[in-house]
Amino acid sequence: MGAAVSARGIGSRPHRPARYTLAVAITIALIAVLVASSILNYVYLDTVAGRTSLYGLLSIAVIALGSFGGIRAIVRDPIERGRQYRRAGIFLGLAALAWLLLVDVIVFTDSAGPRIAVICALACVPTTAFGMLILRALDRNETEPWRLVLLAAVWGGVVATSLVIWAEGLWQAIAIRTLVPGPGLDVSMAFSAGILEELAKGCAVLLLFLVVRNEFDDVVDGIIYGAAVGLGFNFMESVSYMTNLYAVFSPEGVGAEAAGFQWYARQVLGLFFGHATYTAFVGAGIGIARQLPDMRRKVIAVVAGFVVAIAAHFSWDAWLSAFPIDKTFEIVEIHVRTLIITGPFTAALLAILFVGLHIEGQALADQFRKEAALGTGAILPEELSILMNPWPRFEQRVRALRRGGMRAYLLVARLQAAQIDLAMERWHRERGELDTPPEADDELRRRVLALRQELLAAVSGR
Amino acid sequence: MVAAPADQVRTLYRTVLVYAAVSILVFVAGLAEFAYFEPFGQHTGLKVHIAGVYQYDPQHKTTVGSDSNAFPRTVLFAAVVDWSSLPKDIVVDARWYDSFGNAVGGVGPGTPDQLATQTIIPVHVTPPFHHMLPGHYTFVVQRSAGGVPVEVIGRRIVMVER
Repeated sequence: MGAAVSARGIGSRPHRPARYTLAVAITIALIAVLVASSILNYVYLDTVAGRTSLYGLLSIAVIALGSFGGIRAIVRDPIERGRQYRRAGIFLGLAALAWLLLVDVIVFTDSAGPRIAVICALACVPTTAFGMLILRALDRNETEPWRLVLLAAVWGGVVATSLVIWAEGLWQAIAIRTLVPGPGLDVSMAFSAGILEELAKGCAVLLLFLVVRNEFDDVVDGIIYGAAVGLGFNFMESVSYMTNLYAVFSPEGVGAEAAGFQWYARQVLGLFFGHATYTAFVGAGIGIARQLPDMRRKVIAVVAGFVVAIAAHFSWDAWLSAFPIDKTFEIVEIHVRTLIITGPFTAALLAILFVGLHIEGQALADQFRKEAALGTGAILPEELSILMNPWPRFEQRVRALRRGGMRAYLLVARLQAAQIDLAMERWHRERGELDTPPEADDELRRRVLALRQELLAAVSGR
Repeated sequence: MVAAPADQVRTLYRTVLVYAAVSILVFVAGLAEFAYFEPFGQHTGLKVHIAGVYQYDPQHKTTVGSDSNAFPRTVLFAAVVDWSSLPKDIVVDARWYDSFGNAVGGVGPGTPDQLATQTIIPVHVTPPFHHMLPGHYTFVVQRSAGGVPVEVIGRRIVMVER
């Protein structure tokens, strides 16, 4: 979504809101951290990953500068130039992601060799995908686009892990060489993981909030994006731990058991009781800030979200060793330990999520009714009961599939999404939470009506 | 302009503030634990002389070869400590930790005189394993006060290769 897009993908804007400037500043800071991290790795660790990361990021930076200069010199029309900038930005962003993924693969999976790394990664795919599907199912009122949810997960798995490599490595090196081994050292490492990892993951949610405001509506959206980032991070961390433990224990003939235990602990037991919960709190804070009227409270809500996320993460890392596992009751004890340490945080998060879903559902139902009462045709009175619940919406799509095939199914899906977008836009406007002009609502209505016409033509022409 | 649902969002805002307040208590508990195990003002500047880390012969309970920072996983190794380099009125212990933070060998606590005969501190293989697990092994000599280790006065890190 570019700066020129408003009101859920419709219309052009005469100016860019200040939040885009903040987003650009955060992005530049993150790139600087990545480059600095690569240089430090190259200078002090001299690893293949450090060199790969450094040369790759510098190459992408040079290409980015060249693209910027080239577009500026060749394209004279400002609108076309903006479009070319966005296009180049997307491609270069994807290039950077691919490069960081390559570095992650080298750093996190090389200990046991590529075959084991692939097996571990494949083992984590179904569970992580299951987690993403659960998130989609929870987001029942207004489902976020797959592309953004997946982007959030990719950030968690690729960018966030790259951001923390150097800082955590440095903290660990200093702590091991200065502190007394034992609980004090554990607490220090827990602060490192909690602060650095939650900041790295939370940046993704913050950037989505700043850049893709029209797909970031409330606390529910924040929790979904945050949890998706957490699932992505958990995926990469699981592969890393599994391959590392396999390499450590395989000479004793128990490598597969060690990796399998990690898989269960992180991909089954810890799928939601872990990074997904932590970073969802960052999203919750940002989502609440989205709907607060004044800047002071917005900032407090965002900071509060980060504080809770760091505390949740810290608790697990610091006090895990306070629950020694007896081999006789190991399988019971690891579950009890997870429930005791992370369970309260997950329960607290679910409480916010369900209240958020309730508020969102009530607000949408209210706006559906108000829009239907206007008689614009965007929402018909007989559609109210369908739009308010996901199951009737699904049934409506299936009916369309039977009558008009896959094209009709997809058109109904787009129509429903546009109608929900309109209701959401109305809700935000009623609450004074939009920086788009009121005409944007009319554009949304026109889009709904156009989709309705297209659907009628598709069904009748079959 | 704020409509009725604003109150509900405010409720969420207050809820997350309560969570944050509880989280700050979590940090306070963490800092208190850190301060207990890493008490301030305990730095004495003492340094124990660690002569080196050598391959260990468990049958004869002696060290073999030269000082090294890396060992294959099939051999045992031991640190050699010169306890006479320390004042006699302190309580110390020495510990080996594997890369998971498990204690895998050590002596003490006791005064340097009490430990004088235990200058060789070997690492142990953790049952049911047959050899050392690969990774970093940290050897520390700690000064204790009130039964709690408060200061590291000697440290060596060695690598067990895969």
